[in-house]
Amino acid sequence: MVLPLLRIFSYVLALAGVSLLLPLAAAVRYGETRAAWSFAVPMAASIAAAVAITVVYRHIKAAPLSIRAAFVAVGGSWILLGFFGALPIWFSGAIKGFANCLFESISGFTTTGATVMSDVESLPRSINLWRCEMHWLGGMGVIALVVALVPILGIGGMKLIQAETTGPEKGKLTARITNTAKVLWFIYMGFTAAQTALLHFFGLSLFDSLCHAFSTLGTGGFSTRNASVGAFGNPAVEWVCTIFMLAAAVNFALYYRFFTGRVGDIWRDSEFRAFCGIVAASIALVALVQLPGSDSCSETVRDSAFQVASIVSTTGFMTADYAVWCPAAQIVVFTLFFIGGCSGSTAGGVKVVRWTVLFKQLVNELRRLVHPHGVFTLRLNGTPGRETLVVFVAPFIFVYLLLVIVTALLGAVAGLAPFESLTTALSMVGNIGPAFGDMGPTAHYGNIPDFLKCWYCVVMIAGRLEIFTLFILIGTVFSFRRNSAGSRRYN
Amino acid sequence: MSKKVIVVGAGFTGLQLARTLVAEGVHVVLVDRDPEKVQHARNALDCTVVESDGNSPETLSEAGIATADALVTLTDDDEMNMIVCSLVDADYPDVLKIARVRNYAYYLRTKATASRHADATASGERRPLFGVDHMLNPDVEAAAAITRAMSLGAVGNVIELGGGYGIVSLPVVAGGPFDGVPICRLSKKPGWHYLVAYVESDKTAVLPNGNTMPEAGDRVGVLVSLEDIPSLMLFMGRSAEEILRTVTVFGADRVGTLVVDHHVSSRRASVFSRIFGGSPREKSREITIVDRDPHLCREAAERFNDVRVLCGDMTDADLVREESLDAVDLMVAASGNYESNLVMAAYLKSRGVKKTIALTASSEFDDVARKLGVDVAVPMRDTVVDCIVSHLRGDNVKAIHAVCNRFFEIVECEVSPSSRAAGKALSELVNDGEFLALLVQEKEGGKYSMPNGSTVIAPGARIVLVVKAGAGDEVQLFTGEA
Repeated sequence: MVLPLLRIFSYVLALAGVSLLLPLAAAVRYGETRAAWSFAVPMAASIAAAVAITVVYRHIKAAPLSIRAAFVAVGGSWILLGFFGALPIWFSGAIKGFANCLFESISGFTTTGATVMSDVESLPRSINLWRCEMHWLGGMGVIALVVALVPILGIGGMKLIQAETTGPEKGKLTARITNTAKVLWFIYMGFTAAQTALLHFFGLSLFDSLCHAFSTLGTGGFSTRNASVGAFGNPAVEWVCTIFMLAAAVNFALYYRFFTGRVGDIWRDSEFRAFCGIVAASIALVALVQLPGSDSCSETVRDSAFQVASIVSTTGFMTADYAVWCPAAQIVVFTLFFIGGCSGSTAGGVKVVRWTVLFKQLVNELRRLVHPHGVFTLRLNGTPGRETLVVFVAPFIFVYLLLVIVTALLGAVAGLAPFESLTTALSMVGNIGPAFGDMGPTAHYGNIPDFLKCWYCVVMIAGRLEIFTLFILIGTVFSFRRNSAGSRRYN
Repeated sequence: MSKKVIVVGAGFTGLQLARTLVAEGVHVVLVDRDPEKVQHARNALDCTVVESDGNSPETLSEAGIATADALVTLTDDDEMNMIVCSLVDADYPDVLKIARVRNYAYYLRTKATASRHADATASGERRPLFGVDHMLNPDVEAAAAITRAMSLGAVGNVIELGGGYGIVSLPVVAGGPFDGVPICRLSKKPGWHYLVAYVESDKTAVLPNGNTMPEAGDRVGVLVSLEDIPSLMLFMGRSAEEILRTVTVFGADRVGTLVVDHHVSSRRASVFSRIFGGSPREKSREITIVDRDPHLCREAAERFNDVRVLCGDMTDADLVREESLDAVDLMVAASGNYESNLVMAAYLKSRGVKKTIALTASSEFDDVARKLGVDVAVPMRDTVVDCIVSHLRGDNVKAIHAVCNRFFEIVECEVSPSSRAAGKALSELVNDGEFLALLVQEKEGGKYSMPNGSTVIAPGARIVLVVKAGAGDEVQLFTGEA
């Protein structure tokens, strides 16, 4: 299974290399010579490696990927991407220490948006563009883009995309998986272009517009300003970001249905309905508890909507410091840390659909208590008989919370206060970015010990790939070592 | 009526249909491949019986398909029923073809969908799907009958007629308003009218005249406007019709789910009427389905969103107590097991359910059902046979309902302009046979009313008669068809 893996890794790296063209162009345009070289070298190296692998192995037929190999390919690709993305940052010398660069890169690709920098405005502009572009690539999924672009992967592509996309249910929108990947990426690009245009229209420079559009659509959270989106002091920009953050947290398959005229399906989608309800209720609650002490009603509503959208979509942009809000509002935001966006979106977290399934199961259990002979069915998106979903959802939530607890424990060992450690763990596993207290929206991750940074890197990738993919990767590596002398085959 | 009808399939329904048709003087040819059934039919019926496969053209031509007016296929096999019709349609497109189709996926409401499904033949003529003029689904017909009974409040067997009228079958109770009172002395009621359509005792059934005196223990069929059923119930000394809000349906198989489906879909359609108000009877029904088969329960739970589905044995007293099944307003026993339907309905009636409807095998069980206290018995076989017979009667006969153990028939027909009765007053027709005109339409598409001797029969109008079963001549008087 080594050759197909090598091929996939080379494609992924080549794609990442090609995507360095954009920050390279920016570096040349803004006259950042050292940054330009630090982009050019990894780009040339990755493309050369991909060409070499393709040429050397051109006569060997592509074997179909086994299921385990697909998980290994996706998990391995993401780890490789993390290291690859760190290279330009490290070479450019903008961030000191490879651990910091790696954390910044993985935080970028996993769309977490946690930064080690206290002053991002001091970074070269090309590095800032690369940080945001990593969000954008990681948001919809690099593997999905590779499947969309490389037709050879069409056969095993479904397995690859399944290992990368989020949510308990993974389906194809079109008959061919490469078409599905293309459709999703086109919609994604369309939204990005639309947001860039809108932000530019409302007064941001083209550079800032593009960076923030990348960051918003990938639900990442890196900004070119220290004070995030709040730095612009522009209500229109904040509303545009609010709307696009929410849009990016919705299942992209729904947009496909919308554009193909199946509007009825959208409202029948249980997850979408629940998401709308959660967002509306949270904004209303946060705004209501804050209104009594506020000077400006419109500002309170805008800030509430922005922060709620930012956390529920796991973006992490800020226009106000929710860590100093009144306790009730903080608890609402804290609750949103557990929820996350919709499945099939670029957002992280547990995903609304999982909570929807558990809630429906709870209702059924209650009904079963009252009617012991009753026959009840779990209806999702109007389709009955989805009880089996509970079997997939419950272990996921268990392992998700377990990972949060372990991470919180390590954070506490490293010296974080209990609540900060817990919320930071939630923030890392859910790919959100900011946490509470000393790790709140105005803080940064530069001061935590390196071992914790490395653990957070692992946790961020685990969260982005919804944990199981990484578990299978780790399991494979260990069993491979144990049995490497034996005759067992791994596929 | 010198019609000729070929019936393929001599099961219970086939035999009953043949018996009904033979009594009307129709020339019936029964075809069945089972020697035992053929022997039984030969002994029981005065008709030609052919022992052979129904799907061979030789058999059908031997049976005289060339001169037949209609073909009815009633074998146990849906595909066979449709294929036989299709075969006959190729050679004899003019023969009326009726097929029993139990599979709901095949079934289509022929009239509504004929235009869509029909394919044009070479001659440009449009033919119905498989050449079947009428598809009959017994489950659909039974479910429709149950639904009708439910919408009328499950007060005895109600036969719905045109113009919003119906015939309610009621027992004559000692000391009640009908007990020992000649029909002509019955008290007139202000605001609403009623008419006694027939009087049925244990032994006989008669068309009433002014001197007929019903006695306690008899049953009377009372013609009344459907809106006046509550008034009639009050007059009979029963409590006013209650709103049947909570309903338990026993049986999650085909008939049961069709009944529930009707109520659920009508509820869904009434979003508009929910906003602007509407009859509270239809919209707020709370339905519970009970079945002991877990698979059927599962399917029902997946199909109906707002319906409670219970999996268990209804004779289990614990289940009944747990779910308060004895406190519901209406219990509909519509499972495929007709005997247990009767038992369940009677059991729950004894436990305090207000009204019960039971699906039974045939009208032979009407007496039993009545004695068990079941309010409405819907006979499966008779529902099907009535439906077939009304199709066979020709275009002018709109509906036909057998009453009094098939002794009388209520016939609703259109008066043909070429018939002898057209344009005449009812009193001029007294010598033309034994019948009772219940309702006469004043003109085509006009209002229905209860006639008297001077009522003139307008051509094209509809008339509702009670006649002896199989009395084709009386019906022909109005329809003019031979």
